[in-house]
Amino acid sequence: MSKPTVGIFGLTGCAGDQLVILNCEDRLLELASLIDVRDFLMATSANDTGCPLDIALVEGAVLSNRDAEWLQKIRQRARILVALGTCAVWGGVAAMDSGADRSQLLREIYGEIGLGYDSIAAQALDQSVKVDLKITGCPIEEKHFLAAIANLLNGDPPVYPAYPVCTECRMAENNCLLIERGEICCGPITAAGCNARCPEWGVPCVGCRGPASDANPSSFLAAFEERGIAREAVAGRLKTFAPRGVQS
Amino acid sequence: MKAIVIEPLARVEGHGGITVELEGDSIAAVRFDVFEGARLLESLVRGKRYDEVAPVLSRICSICSAAHCLTSLKATEKAFEVTVSPQTERLRDLLFLGENIESHALHLFLLALPDYLNAPSAIALAADRPELVQLGLRLKRLGNLIQETIGGRAIHPVNAVPGGFGKAPSTEQLTGLRTALLEGAKGSSAVVDIMASLPETDFCRANTVYAALNSPNQDSYYAGDKVVVFADGERTAVPAADYRTLTNEEPAPHSHAKHSSFRGKPFMVGSLARLTVNMRWLTAKLAIAAERLRLHLPSDSPMDNNKAQALELIGDLERALAVVEQLLDDGIEDERPVPVQPRAGTGTAITEAPRGLLIHSYTYDAEGTLVSADVITPTALNAASMETHFRRLVEQCPERTDGVLAQRLEMLARAYDPCISCSVHLMRKR
Repeated sequence: MSKPTVGIFGLTGCAGDQLVILNCEDRLLELASLIDVRDFLMATSANDTGCPLDIALVEGAVLSNRDAEWLQKIRQRARILVALGTCAVWGGVAAMDSGADRSQLLREIYGEIGLGYDSIAAQALDQSVKVDLKITGCPIEEKHFLAAIANLLNGDPPVYPAYPVCTECRMAENNCLLIERGEICCGPITAAGCNARCPEWGVPCVGCRGPASDANPSSFLAAFEERGIAREAVAGRLKTFAPRGVQS
Repeated sequence: MKAIVIEPLARVEGHGGITVELEGDSIAAVRFDVFEGARLLESLVRGKRYDEVAPVLSRICSICSAAHCLTSLKATEKAFEVTVSPQTERLRDLLFLGENIESHALHLFLLALPDYLNAPSAIALAADRPELVQLGLRLKRLGNLIQETIGGRAIHPVNAVPGGFGKAPSTEQLTGLRTALLEGAKGSSAVVDIMASLPETDFCRANTVYAALNSPNQDSYYAGDKVVVFADGERTAVPAADYRTLTNEEPAPHSHAKHSSFRGKPFMVGSLARLTVNMRWLTAKLAIAAERLRLHLPSDSPMDNNKAQALELIGDLERALAVVEQLLDDGIEDERPVPVQPRAGTGTAITEAPRGLLIHSYTYDAEGTLVSADVITPTALNAASMETHFRRLVEQCPERTDGVLAQRLEMLARAYDPCISCSVHLMRKR
């Protein structure tokens, strides 16, 4: 069987998910022997920017018309399009302005010249194209990326946990930061898969993986209100990484 | 008129390009173009509570995420007049060293070296020179191991918080790190051997102004509150609070890149600037390595930034080992972050990210809510210097065929190790 052709792309973001791929130091050369990477601007200057792709891995959010056009081209080339990371899956930190006047924000930071920039409100990939697989995380977990590639090579869709970070945290028998310290921890509502990394270090979850599909935000907010923590303060945190996943 | 357009620029972080317009023998225009979308994070983060700021602003850039996170914390703590423990200072130093090791190994071996050896990528290079690529990946792993052990994650550290760390690493973790660093240091001489074997890239000579953080009592990427500008052998100190004197120009339409200057002259930041400003960082071992690499400071070749990164890479492995040994000798305390009491005020922090000077300046209200944030990144500071050096390169290129010019321009751009996600955060209204 010929090796699947792969493209790795970064729309607007921090390049953290592409860096996770390059951070697979011990596996990188082995990985490169299993797939045929045709287009990976961050790592190579010999790119085929038009060939069909079996797998397109796309990180970042759509934040310019240039991004939007590029994403359409990638979609047309790709059999399977994978959204890599919270920005691609949810819009990420740049999407937290949902509703703000973009011209005003551009003017504040860049002055009048900013109004001429190619800049649109942040969008997740699935707001404009079909996404076949979503790997969330800010950044994604290396193990999820490697598992996804292994699964795609074998033709099985990978499965990620639907339960929240809180479940992982309880299984690790950590002290609860919410109950014991009264800290605003987003673990009860955030998608698991990080092994409750932040609470493991004694730091409240910031919700960087976006919402868990089987979490219950309203009971979570009620639990905070019982402890005298304002609903707005909690909602503000939940909206930082994945505003689209949070109901008001 | 003839234009040489390199777009997109490959093997760099983010989306940028180079445009050179020639009219006969004269150079009509030289531009470093930035196509990265604007995320407006400095505006979006306003109104957040002080403990939410670093996790958002570290997302400006993954490769420099530890530097952004720690510079953010330093600015917040300065605004609140919080003093962290000596152990926290050391751990932060170590986290910076880990990031610098990772970033330099990535840049030198995976992004820059393929040019010197006529390969399109490190993966292609691995077919002929597997030992070289594997060495780079091994050193990169070591940098990430430090970041994981101290920061809790290789990208966007989770463990660094206002006042200190969520949890200090254990003695066992530090002992493991010491073993790995001792093993990794064996790769140092190979780094120098490889760099010394590369063809000389003597195609841009320029009298360059350099700027770097000056740490008064120690060699640190983290500690210190003033920038030293080195121009024509003269040193001028600029306190952190006066950082705007270095960043006082207007945004440019083509690049989202405000052009920074010192007394009207563009300046360069990064490894070469650090070694030039802080020559005492050159230990005897590094001085010998510098000699082998034909690196003479102050340098008039910006391509030497690659050599300077190699020196820092091997120097930082030793510095990291020294910090770990000191932490082990003193005994690591299982301490909690020092309490942070918000107050109204402004804090400006200057540090050295892998690519050079990084500035975060914040104003908070009395409740600890962020009122305004200003972030100046190394690639932003370098933009004007890059364009000046591109121009020198074209002027000095005897054979102006597209292929030769384009290759040299790309190599020079990569020598700056630009981080274009970061660079978008450079323009500011005046």
